[in-house]
Amino acid sequence: MVLELQKPRPIWQIMFSTHHTDVGLLYLITSLAFMFMGGALALILRLELFAPGTQVIADSMTYNRIFTVHGTTLIFLFILPSASAFGNYLVPIMVRFKDMAYPKLNAVAFWMIPPAGALIWLGFADFTWYAYPTYSTISAPGPAADMWIFGLKILGVSSLLGAINFVVTILKCKHPDLPLSKLPLLAWSYLASSLIILVAIPTFAAALLMLLTDRLGASGFFNPGMGGDPIAYQHLFWFTFHPEVYVLVIPAIGFMYEIFPRFSRKPIFSHSSGVAAFVLLTIVGFASWAHHMYATGMSFTEKTVFMVGTLAAVPASAMHTFNFLATMWGGRIKFATPIMWAVGGIALFFSAGAGGVVNSAMPLDFITHDSYWVVGHFHLFVMGTILFGTVGFIYYMFPYVTGRMYNEMWGKIHFILSFVGTVMVFFTQHILGLFGMPRRIYDYPPIPEWVQMNIIITVGAFIIGISMAIFLGNLIYSSAKGKPANMDDPFGLGGKYYFPYQAKNPHH
Amino acid sequence: MRQMVSGNMSGHHSTWPEWVYVGVVIALLCYVGAEAWNIERIVEHVPADAEIIKVVGQQWLWTFEHEDGTKEIGELHLEKGKAYKFEVTSKDVVHSFNIHDFTVLMDAVPGRVNTVWFSPTETGEFPIQCREYCGLIHYNMRGTLYVENGA
Amino acid sequence: MAQLEQQDPIYRTTPERTYKMMAIMLGICIVGGGIFFGLWDFWISMPPVVPGAGDAADHGAPVAATGKEIPVSLSFIESSDFRTLAFNALPGEEGNNPTIMANVGDKIIFDVVNDGKSFHSFGVTAAEEGFEGIFPGSEIAAATNPLKAGEGGASEFIPTEPGTYYYICTVPGHRMQGMVGEIVVGESGSSGQATAAAPTGVSHDINLDFIESSDFRTLAFNALPGEEGNNPEIRVKSGDEVTVTTTNAGVSFHAFGVVTNPDDFTSVVFDSAINSATNPLKAGESGSVTFLAGAPGTYYYICTVPGHALQGMQGSFIVE
Repeated sequence: MVLELQKPRPIWQIMFSTHHTDVGLLYLITSLAFMFMGGALALILRLELFAPGTQVIADSMTYNRIFTVHGTTLIFLFILPSASAFGNYLVPIMVRFKDMAYPKLNAVAFWMIPPAGALIWLGFADFTWYAYPTYSTISAPGPAADMWIFGLKILGVSSLLGAINFVVTILKCKHPDLPLSKLPLLAWSYLASSLIILVAIPTFAAALLMLLTDRLGASGFFNPGMGGDPIAYQHLFWFTFHPEVYVLVIPAIGFMYEIFPRFSRKPIFSHSSGVAAFVLLTIVGFASWAHHMYATGMSFTEKTVFMVGTLAAVPASAMHTFNFLATMWGGRIKFATPIMWAVGGIALFFSAGAGGVVNSAMPLDFITHDSYWVVGHFHLFVMGTILFGTVGFIYYMFPYVTGRMYNEMWGKIHFILSFVGTVMVFFTQHILGLFGMPRRIYDYPPIPEWVQMNIIITVGAFIIGISMAIFLGNLIYSSAKGKPANMDDPFGLGGKYYFPYQAKNPHH
Repeated sequence: MRQMVSGNMSGHHSTWPEWVYVGVVIALLCYVGAEAWNIERIVEHVPADAEIIKVVGQQWLWTFEHEDGTKEIGELHLEKGKAYKFEVTSKDVVHSFNIHDFTVLMDAVPGRVNTVWFSPTETGEFPIQCREYCGLIHYNMRGTLYVENGA
Repeated sequence: MAQLEQQDPIYRTTPERTYKMMAIMLGICIVGGGIFFGLWDFWISMPPVVPGAGDAADHGAPVAATGKEIPVSLSFIESSDFRTLAFNALPGEEGNNPTIMANVGDKIIFDVVNDGKSFHSFGVTAAEEGFEGIFPGSEIAAATNPLKAGEGGASEFIPTEPGTYYYICTVPGHRMQGMVGEIVVGESGSSGQATAAAPTGVSHDINLDFIESSDFRTLAFNALPGEEGNNPEIRVKSGDEVTVTTTNAGVSFHAFGVVTNPDDFTSVVFDSAINSATNPLKAGESGSVTFLAGAPGTYYYICTVPGHALQGMQGSFIVE
């Protein structure tokens, strides 16, 4: 399936290869498989929440396990690996080097993902993807909980290995004629997200180990009866995972930095502004973690500090948005599937950010915390921005990876249905949160507004589900039987808008 | 005609629109931050005459104790117009005490007592719910607040 | 057909390879699914170890309060330099850390107030040092949520075996600074009445169902409050054989036991437990236990899952 290698190779040879394109392909297939599996779980949840009372899930324990695995899968087994997928594919090409800095380590990092995924999916723990103590230490049943902890430990190591690889490749293996300031923004996005991973993940690794020893009764880090503090875990967790959400979004923004200039047939408005925004976000992203913890009993001063830290990260995202819009302005835009996804992604990114500013305002967070507003808000980021950016980039890279074109009509239908569904689901969830519906609940009392909104949300979710089924069909059919693509200019953009960074591209 | 390269070099153009835009964004954020700071400062000031109600969350019910020792399970009877300060804690896992209609929200953390105050402005029945995942019956860890006119 | 031939021929995948890959992935999902669903109950079958919960087992079988009631008033006091702490009076003064004399089965009722400036909490332990092993029901507040100056509370302690026990302030270090007193417990004074009668040969079969109201706010046995049959009173004679069969007719989980103190779900007597809070009966499950009714007294049958007795799952179990 891989383009650069000219002869057909047995599948097992691709599987155990260390070449960056092969590893990238493995990451891509694995992450897409988990995307569909995690998404299917969401549909089951939405079916249950369609109306008050029991619909398809017999008991609340099963429901709790499903949403835990849904969140864990889509974050750790879809978004992070899919970013790694394209990073592996493109970073060596962008820095004009023959492979990643450590090809064998690269393969090792990938191969940690299937066993970790197996641990998470076989156990199906029930303590939410946060795994807050003291529920996770004294109340969550094993071995599911312990399997989840081990699975995430393995995924953390995999992320770290990948991040080391990216940083070394970009900084040390790049071509001597290529200064950092001229590095494509997609490569900058991998540098930024990898640096964040290197700083943030070890904290969570420590927290996981502490959870495990607490569960075994060997320690009391988070057990007040033994002198510990459950809130300490929340600090450790969010110190990692607030920067981690930037790790999730930065590659997707990088994807958009590839798509917008190409399909607008115009250079990016300001390369240096993009670089500055990535660097700013990387640093300031570490200053806001406890905005997830306003309700834990923090003092006024603490809350203020984190509110300021949160707001300080917004201008960086605003700079990216401006960059994209200014790039499109005055361009001769070809509205093919990839740019439709990118434009939809930016619109939803803006909405997600606006809702986030509401959450960061201390008094307003007490209305929205742990309600469906938060669910809608973060889904606008992970689905609206990250998934839209990733899917757009998958369409864009499809001819490059498979040599064939996907079906453009079905790609556009996929976009329209997904966009409509996303708005229906996640905008409505904001309002539902304002009406007070808490998160993570298996059932709800028959309050009329809640019932009406949940119906709308479930219908929207199934519209997204249908669109994703179309996507799956398009992917499978087109990679096997799609029309062979014009490898120099598959999208017909004309002129000099080649595929990303082909080594033969004279402009490099 | 601008030099059209593969997108990673910007042409020569003015950048003032971007500076204006970033300036506007920062101004808006400063406004939001200042306003939020001010309101939270006011909201967190507990009146001196607030009656203290001890709230204990446990899997999966709320219990309340009034100043005079009266205990209630799952229900809370308060008077309209009076100020109440809740001292919230938990016996087992982290819960979150929430009376959404009056924007009362504070985590119940074992080993810790958090405080939040409010003054009910209307009579009636209002739901009390748990707003932090706490296990099997988190979804139904509910209670009712009854606000009556002062006797 | 815009295939450019100046590059090396491009290899594109074929439908056969795509089917092969799909088959492999589907196979993995089916095998994984088989393992998961095949062992459905196993994955969430092991509740975590809760440190400190093991202490409850060390206390032996509590007995009903068959002796007299002994009210005791205690106050936490501190020396002005906070170096010395005590109950009631400082060392050297009269009334310092009074020793309480009691017999097995007596109910000592503590009324404790914090007359100091610092924080304190109360409990009874058999341990000669430290602040572990506090008997449930004897605690007032806790080190992590103590009594502030001027606050007070009440608790009780029924010694089950003769020996020396200690009432202490359970804030770490305070016992060492002097806040400890002795409870000297002698043999049970009353005869006959405190001991169980010989087996009478009479058998009772009792069916109890765990019932929940639809809003989960109210729990009960057999029927909800207000309806007939709610929390029926059980009366047997000492020495009778009692078989209790319980069915969980609710959606949540429950467990059963006859206890001396309805607020203390660990005070199960007569070996009458069906399952437990850490290994409860799930919805629809049933369990039963057969035991001999022991010493006469007023006991309670409860659901031993924490909080459930408080929400209504308790009834009287009287042994005559």
